[in-house]
Amino acid sequence: MTKVWCLRCLGSTLWPSFLAAAVASVVFFASIDPETLRMQTLPDWSISRMAGYTIGFFMFWGVGLLSSSLTYLLSGGISDRNE
Amino acid sequence: MSKQEKEVTVDAGMYVAREKIHPREVKGPFQTLRNLAVIVLLGIYYGLAWVQWEGRQAVLFDLPARQFHIFGLTFWPQDFLYLALLLILAALSLFFFTALAGRLWCGYACPQTVWTEAFLWMERWTEGNRQQRLKLDKSPWNSTKLLRRGSKHVLWVLFALYTGFTFVGYFTPIRELSVGVATFNLGGWETFWLLFYGFATWGNAGFLREQVCIYMCPYARFQSAMFDRNSLIISYDEKRGEPRGGRGRNVDHKAKGLGDCIDCNLCVQACPTGIDIRDGLQYECIACAACIDACNGVMDKMDYPRGLIRYTTENAMEGQPSRILRPRIIIYGILLLVITAGVLYSLTQRTPLAMEVMADRNVLYRDVDFETIENVYTVRILNKDNQAHSYVLTVDGLPNARVITRPERIHVGAGSTDTIIARVQVPRGAATGPGHPIELQLTSQSDPDIQSTNSARFHGPDE
Repeated sequence: MTKVWCLRCLGSTLWPSFLAAAVASVVFFASIDPETLRMQTLPDWSISRMAGYTIGFFMFWGVGLLSSSLTYLLSGGISDRNE
Repeated sequence: MSKQEKEVTVDAGMYVAREKIHPREVKGPFQTLRNLAVIVLLGIYYGLAWVQWEGRQAVLFDLPARQFHIFGLTFWPQDFLYLALLLILAALSLFFFTALAGRLWCGYACPQTVWTEAFLWMERWTEGNRQQRLKLDKSPWNSTKLLRRGSKHVLWVLFALYTGFTFVGYFTPIRELSVGVATFNLGGWETFWLLFYGFATWGNAGFLREQVCIYMCPYARFQSAMFDRNSLIISYDEKRGEPRGGRGRNVDHKAKGLGDCIDCNLCVQACPTGIDIRDGLQYECIACAACIDACNGVMDKMDYPRGLIRYTTENAMEGQPSRILRPRIIIYGILLLVITAGVLYSLTQRTPLAMEVMADRNVLYRDVDFETIENVYTVRILNKDNQAHSYVLTVDGLPNARVITRPERIHVGAGSTDTIIARVQVPRGAATGPGHPIELQLTSQSDPDIQSTNSARFHGPDE
């Protein structure tokens, strides 16, 4: 039971936020170069572009996850779904 | 807290703990088609990364350099429009094919289905057929079980890791990457994404399987909106099949009042999502047609006509004519054609050159001498072509205006950018006051068709 509950919970929060993060990363980094962003904000911090993309992606995922989790919590979790 | 506990106990009754589904292997035309789809699609995925084109990887999404190479074409962040159009095209094709033929995507082309099928093959090689797998699940741990399970997981992990490696190979040149792997000298981010994608493949195709379609896939939830009564669905012919029941092969079942369904349950055993198609259309059904193949095999054995479970439409099931051409098909079709044609046309017309012009913000204008006023611009040139070009900058919009760049012929290498300073000079009196529109034009010397025009503002003194 708890295992199933865990899976549902992860499935309905991790996954939608992952999809949203993927779309957000593509749109965001298509127009903004992480290298420029770094130069303008933290010029002393030397990280590669790849690292910039990765951090960006996980940031979007984190924000999405927070939002999905809140929705999950506020809409009553699994008790109303999938009967 | 007590409320929550209550809810949890209610839930316990609502959910049956998931049992692992072991789909029965079936033979038939649809299974052959599915196998073919797996081989072709995975072949493309694993093979395309190794194809070379004009001395570099044919398909390479070079994120560090911010360039996407797809065969002869190179895309830049400025070409984002194409990516957006591509996504729109993908969505439209999904709508089109769903309206026309139901969940074709789910059954044959979705990566989830394709990789699950590949993982199932490995499971079959190591753990045997459905009966043997069910038996193995129940058997206590012994050397056979350890060997069979172990070899399955070794195969799965190796395959998943290679999948992750190929995925990263689309972003870092795969030949360099393979050298890096072979010498245990891989960059941190490459290692991370290789393991991440490998883990996702292993988890999704090995363990989650149909749960991804049932609980995680958004398409499964909204695809019903694209259906109508003329869309192809997989359906059990209830009128013909019911009442179902077992019988001998030579028994006249009609005399006994039975329908054509012998209730052998093979359609349920073959289903990768574990549903019973005889209960009607369900959103868990990924339209893989395994039940059709299973049922047709049984019908052949019983000497009954095939098609007790078949591809059909809601209209056809009710004895009404099915129409292929209907407004939504025509609209989706026309939109698809128009956008595809537009993208192809604009790809052929694409100028492999882009330019940005920024006015010098520090000084509005400068007196060069008593007769001439000068504005200074920073010009960023983007040569998107696969060869180097020399460009010449010209100006238009004000009488007797001229532009000075140093050097006069600006050489930009293939796929490179360069930033130069351009000084536009106008005779005093030709431009009074701020904000005269001018146009800067950059033209390739070797090919005058390659040119780019940008507008800018020229500021003169107020007099």
